[in-house]
Amino acid sequence: MPEFENFNVKTTIDCKQGAVRAVRYNVDGTYCLSCGSDKKIKLWNPASGLLLKTYGGHADEVTDAAGSCDSSYIVSASLDKSIIYWDVSTGAPVRRLRSHAGGVRCVCFNEDSSIAISGGRDNAVMCWDIRTRRLDPVQVMKEARDCITTVATNENRIYAASLDGCVRTYDIRVGELTCDKVGEPITYLAQTLDEQCLVAGCQDSVVRLLDCETGGLLSEYRGHRGDDYHIECGILSNDAHIVTGSSDGDAFVYDLLEGKVLQRIRISDNGGVVHSLATHPKRQEMLFARRRDMYVFSTDLQIEEEQL
Amino acid sequence: MDEEEHLHRFGTPLPALQKDVVPAKKPVAIEDQIVRDENGKRRFHGAFTGGFSAGFWNTVGSQEGWTPQTFKSSRGERASSKAQLKPEDFMDQEDLGEFGIAPQGIRTRDEFANEDEQQQRSGQRRRKLMQPELGVGAIPGLPVLEQLLRPVRDKVAVRILKSMGWKPGQGVGPRQTRKEKRQATARNSKEQYLLEHYGAEGLPSHKETKGDEDSNTEDEDDEDITFAPDDYEPIFYTPKENRFGMSYSGLNRDPILSKSSSSSAKPMQHINLFGEMEAQANKKQLSIRGQAFGVGAFEEEDEDIYARDDMTRYDFSLADKKPKQKKQQHVQQRHVIDGFSEENSAAVLQKPYAIDLPRDFQPRNWLQRRSRFAPMDKERAKKLETASEYKRSGLGRHDLNPDQRAQLLGEQKKEEKTAEEQPKRNPFKDSGKSLLERINARTEGFTKGGVITENGEEQQTELAKEVKEANAAIQEKAALKTKDLPSAMNSSGFKPFLADEAKQLRYEKFVSSKLTDDKEVTEFLARMQPVTLSLWDREMEKKEFIQAAKIYRPLVGLMNDRFVSEANVQAEKVKEQEMPPEERKIVMERTKTMWKPTALLCKRYNIAEPFGGAMLEPEKELKAKAKISVFDYLETSVNTKANFETPSIFPKHIEKLTPKEVEKPPSPPPAPPPEAEIQDKPNAKEEPSKPTFVPKTALEQAVDESRNKPISEKVELFKSIFEDSDEEETEPSEEDKLAILQESFGLPVTSTTSAAAQNVLRNTSPPRGIFASLFSPKKKDTDKEPASSKFAPIEGNKLKIAYKPLSERLRNDRELAMAEVAPEDIYGPKLPTAPPQKPAPPEIQAETNIDARLKQLWQQHAPKKRKAEKWVEKKCISDSEDSDASSSDASSSSESSAGKDKRSKLSKPTKSHKSSSSKKSKKSKLKYKKKSKKSEKSKHKAKKKKSKH
Repeated sequence: MPEFENFNVKTTIDCKQGAVRAVRYNVDGTYCLSCGSDKKIKLWNPASGLLLKTYGGHADEVTDAAGSCDSSYIVSASLDKSIIYWDVSTGAPVRRLRSHAGGVRCVCFNEDSSIAISGGRDNAVMCWDIRTRRLDPVQVMKEARDCITTVATNENRIYAASLDGCVRTYDIRVGELTCDKVGEPITYLAQTLDEQCLVAGCQDSVVRLLDCETGGLLSEYRGHRGDDYHIECGILSNDAHIVTGSSDGDAFVYDLLEGKVLQRIRISDNGGVVHSLATHPKRQEMLFARRRDMYVFSTDLQIEEEQL
Repeated sequence: MDEEEHLHRFGTPLPALQKDVVPAKKPVAIEDQIVRDENGKRRFHGAFTGGFSAGFWNTVGSQEGWTPQTFKSSRGERASSKAQLKPEDFMDQEDLGEFGIAPQGIRTRDEFANEDEQQQRSGQRRRKLMQPELGVGAIPGLPVLEQLLRPVRDKVAVRILKSMGWKPGQGVGPRQTRKEKRQATARNSKEQYLLEHYGAEGLPSHKETKGDEDSNTEDEDDEDITFAPDDYEPIFYTPKENRFGMSYSGLNRDPILSKSSSSSAKPMQHINLFGEMEAQANKKQLSIRGQAFGVGAFEEEDEDIYARDDMTRYDFSLADKKPKQKKQQHVQQRHVIDGFSEENSAAVLQKPYAIDLPRDFQPRNWLQRRSRFAPMDKERAKKLETASEYKRSGLGRHDLNPDQRAQLLGEQKKEEKTAEEQPKRNPFKDSGKSLLERINARTEGFTKGGVITENGEEQQTELAKEVKEANAAIQEKAALKTKDLPSAMNSSGFKPFLADEAKQLRYEKFVSSKLTDDKEVTEFLARMQPVTLSLWDREMEKKEFIQAAKIYRPLVGLMNDRFVSEANVQAEKVKEQEMPPEERKIVMERTKTMWKPTALLCKRYNIAEPFGGAMLEPEKELKAKAKISVFDYLETSVNTKANFETPSIFPKHIEKLTPKEVEKPPSPPPAPPPEAEIQDKPNAKEEPSKPTFVPKTALEQAVDESRNKPISEKVELFKSIFEDSDEEETEPSEEDKLAILQESFGLPVTSTTSAAAQNVLRNTSPPRGIFASLFSPKKKDTDKEPASSKFAPIEGNKLKIAYKPLSERLRNDRELAMAEVAPEDIYGPKLPTAPPQKPAPPEIQAETNIDARLKQLWQQHAPKKRKAEKWVEKKCISDSEDSDASSSDASSSSESSAGKDKRSKLSKPTKSHKSSSSKKSKKSKLKYKKKSKKSEKSKHKAKKKKSKH
């Protein structure tokens, strides 16, 4: 059980792109993406707060983005019902994938970034072949009864969390759809690094830890406030702490096993919903999005020096 | 010679005749003289040689022939629509020449012709007035610009003069006689002389006058002849305004180029080309204009007192007005909205003077409209009151205030309390708060968030909380209030029968009783209604009441349906919030279903497809559903048919026979129980088949399971049933092997037979109808052996099951007709007990027996039927047949017939192939049809009937 160190703010970035809808790390955590309500995606260096590139081409608010495994492409989801596949270096949209009947809420890549998976307000999960130029989805899963809020995947499974209160696991290897009904609308879903558990942020201001194998409810984490916001949660890279945003401008770090609040990170005294967050894939570092700003929190203040 | 010298010569002499040449006898006639151009082309053509030449040698086209116009357009040269052809395009070159009809040389028009030349030509002198004075302008010499730019036309004055008969060079004025003219010239000359000597301005010399004088001398007498007056320069005397020396003009103070430079006395000076521009420039830079130096753009201009002498300049008083005014304005404008100014001519408020009013004067606003609703003046009201007091003392309800009335009525006083409390707790009356806070507090009820501070952050102020609490309290009270409201409203609701008090009373009771049942209402009313009321009246009253209750439902009731009171909503919310989240215990549910990932997805995930990709794709199933399936049709058609089909005719003949079919082994033990059942059936008119059915084989179980499944799911079952049997029937040896192979792989048996083979199959089916009867004797022999060979390998299970779906369907439909069809149902399950392999000999026996019987029957009944020729249900026919054929009692009911029918059916499947003569059995036909799968039911029916005839 690793020691818990308090997180401190490292960088605050004013994204200048309207409300920030989502913040994401790239595959190794050296860069981060912010999705703005001004229909643009921005690529940042989280350490220095340097704006590296802006990607514009969506017709509506960008709701989610993900970087490919080689960090050379970005896939982004927008409320304009389309998904755009971007070239990172040129900033040009390589492909625009339209098939969703509603705004797209979430998107992710599979491990080798050959498939992009998106979920939208049309209750559909779509798998897109990125390798070929196919413009229609490889597969559409329409089992959900409400908006898909998060899609996640690992080597052989696709997870889709929906507002109908179910986490659907599409096991490609077994050819089986497992529907775990939580009963509360699920606003966000994160996988633990060992892929044994799922962290599901529910609308009733509870984060729940679900067991992938049995579908059992392992633990509940209370303390933060959801208030009908789409609040994201995450698990830190050590798989020991769960973090979630809150509608009162805080972020909470829970102990995975005990369910205690380890730290209540006061992100802003001025309120504002901390709705999006991203955990660094390796370090004890997190990104938070609140209003127009992106905050980088870290346990270690000397990280920059180490890097140098 | 001398003569020649005196001769005048006109014209050019003809060339001298040469002696050798003999002159042509005929001169060339005019018509032969052809005008040619320099190229030798003929110049005039056509009628009287006045036409124009056209095209190429008077033809259309060119030397190369006629070429159509081509359209060209390129990026550089756009084909413009302007391609308007000018007349010149159609003209020959000579037409464009100097003498052509459209000469193209450039000539100055008359208007622009050189005036000097014209003058020279005409010998007229240019009017001096119109000539600019030399050396007047800033630039000495002739004004260059005027020389360059000449007016296109004469000036208006000149034109007017010309129209009046003036000619250039003449003077203006009435015509003069010679004498007069001479005097005038003399006078002019004197003036000229004076001018020359004393005037500063150099006027043109008087040379001309001198010249004139010479001519004047010649004739003096002629007085009739009048002359235009001489053109002379009138002298304008300018009054001397200054005290300078004679003809001295000081330096011109006006700017050189300014328009006002022309001292009006001087005629036509310098054409000021820049006047306009100047004016504009002046407008722009007013402050700079006229300043010598040292005045910046932002400095105020010195008053140039000497620039223009105007009386206004001297009209000022020492006491300055302007600054005062400004100050005043400044002060005033404090009270005035931006963009407005106070009225200058403000009406001075007149000072009111004290007036001696009469003692009994009562002020009254006469402008106010007095209506009868206006309050009466006190005295009068008092008077009236006292006067009418006796009237009101009895029914004083109008004087009572609501409280008093409430007391009288014994109402609860809750509302008063709340009303009293309300103002106490009213947060808006807190004096200490600023206006903004109050506004915020007000909006608190509407916006969810707190007060938004300047930096855009939400803040929960104390005040807001306070207000929230207060609001909640108020709302609660309001909710309490409204609770009692509906009932109160009901009692004081609309009174539709006010005219008849008793009726109204009854109505109110009726409403309060809230009866809905018609009977109850009549009873209820009957109790109240007076005995005198007639029955009809009572009925009417009831109707009226019901109607009135509907229409005059209190408003609250009406509105209750549509609206929810805000208080309720609030309360619900509070409840929800209060509800501890722990109450909703999360119970995880896990459901697993099959899901087929697409091949590509698996590939991209580097995963082998589950089950080797053999999973059923849900989409495809759907597609299949969308298509029209033969089986779907089959089933529905069967269902509909079953509604009106009745059991077939046969049972009795077959009754005695022991059925020997392979599929439905009619072994004696199983036969009796069905009969017993059948006898029960008609009484109950229901199929008790369910309890009897016990699935014994896998297929039977499958069938049983599929009972409640939709048709689409049954298709597989059907396939397995029908296709198998088909194949095996036709080509037992080969198909068997395949089928076995397939079965061993666990794959559904698919039909491998070609279309042709299937056709053959179809053809091999036993003849029906007429053919059946025609070929009946032959068939007996021929069919027997193949039938036995064919049916021997058939798995009895499958054939039996073939009946199953039909029976189920029938059962499901629960139709009357089903009862008659029921026997089949019973047979389905029962038969499997018998082993599929049946000895051939009994079969053959049975068949021969049946055939014989059938034949017999046929011969007996054929003529009868033809007479009847009815397309009626078969039942009647069967009855008749029963009576005929059965050796048993004539009262054999349909039950027994049904039982027999069942047995007959059992024997049918084999018969259908072997003995086609026995076509009357409906069952066999049904079965047959199923096997063939191809023909529609209706057809079959028709055929059946035909066969009967």
